[in-house]
Amino acid sequence: MNLETVELTKSFGGVTAVDHATVRFVDGKVNGLIGPNGSGKTTFFNCVTGMIKPDSGSVAYRGKDITKHASDRVARAGIGRSFQLCRVFPRMTVMENLLVAVRHPSVRTLLRSADDEHERERARHWLRRVGIDHLEHAEARNLSYGQQKLLELAGVLMGDPDTIMLDEPAGGVNPALIGRIATLVRELNEEGKTFIIVEHNMEMVMSLCDHVVVFDRGRPIAEGEPSMIQQDPRVLEAYLGV
Amino acid sequence: MRNDSERTASAGRTASADLGPALTETVVVAPDAPRRRRRWSRAVSLALLVVGAALVLSFPFIAPNPYILSAGVVILNYAVLSTGWNFMGGFTGYISLGHAAYFGLGAYGTGLIVKYLELPGFVAWVLAALVVVAISVPVGIAALRVRGASFVIVSIAFVLILLLVFQSWREFTGGSEGLIVPRPFPDLLRPEHHRAFFYLFAGLLAAALVAWWVIDRSKFGTALKSIREDEDKARSLGVPTTRYKLIAYVLSALVTGLGGGLYALWFGDLDPIFQFSILIGSYMVLMALLGGVRHLFGPLLGALIVGIALEYFKLEFGDTQFHLVAAGLLLGVVVLFMPDGVIPAVGQLIDRFRPQQTSIRDVSAAELLEQNRRSDASATGAADAREASGEASTRDASDVSDASDPKEVTR
Ligand SMILES: Nc1ncnc2c1ncn2[C@@H]1O[C@H](COP(=O)(O)OP(=O)(O)OP(=O)(O)O)[C@@H](O)[C@H]1O
Ligand SMILES: [Mg+2]
Repeated sequence: MNLETVELTKSFGGVTAVDHATVRFVDGKVNGLIGPNGSGKTTFFNCVTGMIKPDSGSVAYRGKDITKHASDRVARAGIGRSFQLCRVFPRMTVMENLLVAVRHPSVRTLLRSADDEHERERARHWLRRVGIDHLEHAEARNLSYGQQKLLELAGVLMGDPDTIMLDEPAGGVNPALIGRIATLVRELNEEGKTFIIVEHNMEMVMSLCDHVVVFDRGRPIAEGEPSMIQQDPRVLEAYLGV
Repeated sequence: MRNDSERTASAGRTASADLGPALTETVVVAPDAPRRRRRWSRAVSLALLVVGAALVLSFPFIAPNPYILSAGVVILNYAVLSTGWNFMGGFTGYISLGHAAYFGLGAYGTGLIVKYLELPGFVAWVLAALVVVAISVPVGIAALRVRGASFVIVSIAFVLILLLVFQSWREFTGGSEGLIVPRPFPDLLRPEHHRAFFYLFAGLLAAALVAWWVIDRSKFGTALKSIREDEDKARSLGVPTTRYKLIAYVLSALVTGLGGGLYALWFGDLDPIFQFSILIGSYMVLMALLGGVRHLFGPLLGALIVGIALEYFKLEFGDTQFHLVAAGLLLGVVVLFMPDGVIPAVGQLIDRFRPQQTSIRDVSAAELLEQNRRSDASATGAADAREASGEASTRDASDVSDASDPKEVTR
């Protein structure tokens, strides 16, 4: 099992964003997490990655409890993530953005020059993979939104994560780019990376995911193969609000 | 130049909104323009560095009288403090208004060790620096739990507490009577004393600048700057922000404390109200902001400008509070008109007079055609694109970079 939560709960004042959610995601697969707006998907991501503290419940990654880990420790355990409203370092160059990621910090890597050719080559590799290597020297804030999304993805990949959580990778992105992102996800999955993807674009979810979990009001209401999910009456009800 | 590039970038963005997928890649940077620019600016920096160092080193001989020389010492001291502050403020963006706490602790630490342990001045100086480090660790752990305005408040609270302690603990610190610190070179006459300390401060400043420079170009420095940009994002990428911030904070306290200790040995008379004043802390911030916190020499340049201005106002208007008004006005001007400080502002001005070679170029018609052709191809093969093999997509990516080969564009 890749990632497993038990009775995970988080409320904001009166709103229970994640409500006793017990969810499992499969190692080596492209997992989907879908649900209507406000169903708690992003909050679930934040709890799992240590960005916010859950009120109760637990999170385990590959058998180890990570409930109390701060977000940087979660990242170094091998979980990379992107944000729904894509986040890059606006006043750093594309290259510098990539050099931020840390998987194995040590005094030696700390004092190593940021100009280290090996690291730069690795960064260029990921920039090429996402297709923005020609922007290496541009400041991140000068990139278009779609390019920033690709940059964020490259930055996450630079941290060499085993599991990658993407919060709406297709949000605000033109169709051609969605295709490119989907292709990249599939390739990386073949190279052994596990994905957990929150996405509203059903076409993308259905074609990309091996396993889908459906959230409604903070808890999973269905899970299974995409084709089965599509016909599940509970899912239709949640989406149509019947 | 930045303005130009911003305009081009946003033009590219609106264009891509109109024309759809065809123009998503239009913001293209010719990769070797920045490189050439960097080489150019490196040569200029090196020349400036040599001239600057020569000026500093010869200043004690140029200075017409001991008064001017002592003003030089004061300015170098400010430069050390402000550069010290910039280890924290510049890299991580955490604004400490109470950094005078470490200036005072370094100074009083040195003075008290000389007085009570009767150690030589410079031994006391080193020991006091260790004390500063020992104090800054727990204070840093506590203060760095909060961000933004809260951190500013905490830093002010810290210096105010120290002020009260050092004022009221009369038997130990001398209170507001002051603390006399014996001179480390009793045989030197006053001008020679100033001269010796001018070089000591210059040495300390050089060491601090080298340390800042090393961090600036290290992976550690990149991590600290990412904290300044977006701390939570940096954490999500695995940067151990808590630890890194603390290291920067302690280094910052150390340099500031060393500056304070040297001040104690030079000036020889300490008063809590000056050592632990918010004003000194504010000067450190003002100088760094004025020169430019992202630049190695920003705080030094700021110290030079503010220091000279302060000395001038004191000379001209005596003991009035006019210099405070002037400092406040200066801060306002900086924040409003040069948010990044003097160095970037001057850089932009110079760029304006250099031959046009924007690093972000517009797309030529031929390239547009090429891009349209390619996006047409990908649109018709949209279904295939999903099934596209890894090989195909990497080939595609390298196509893009071939098309933007800088040599074809800039020649
Ligand atoms: N920081 C917060 N403070 C208060 N309420 C919050 C906060 N974050 C989320 N919520 C609430 O929790 C609920 C779940 O929000 P969340 O963002 O997790 O949903 P989501 O499934 O990601 O929705 P979307 O698909 O629109 O992104 C919402 O009702 C939201 O208003
Ligand atoms: Mg969301």
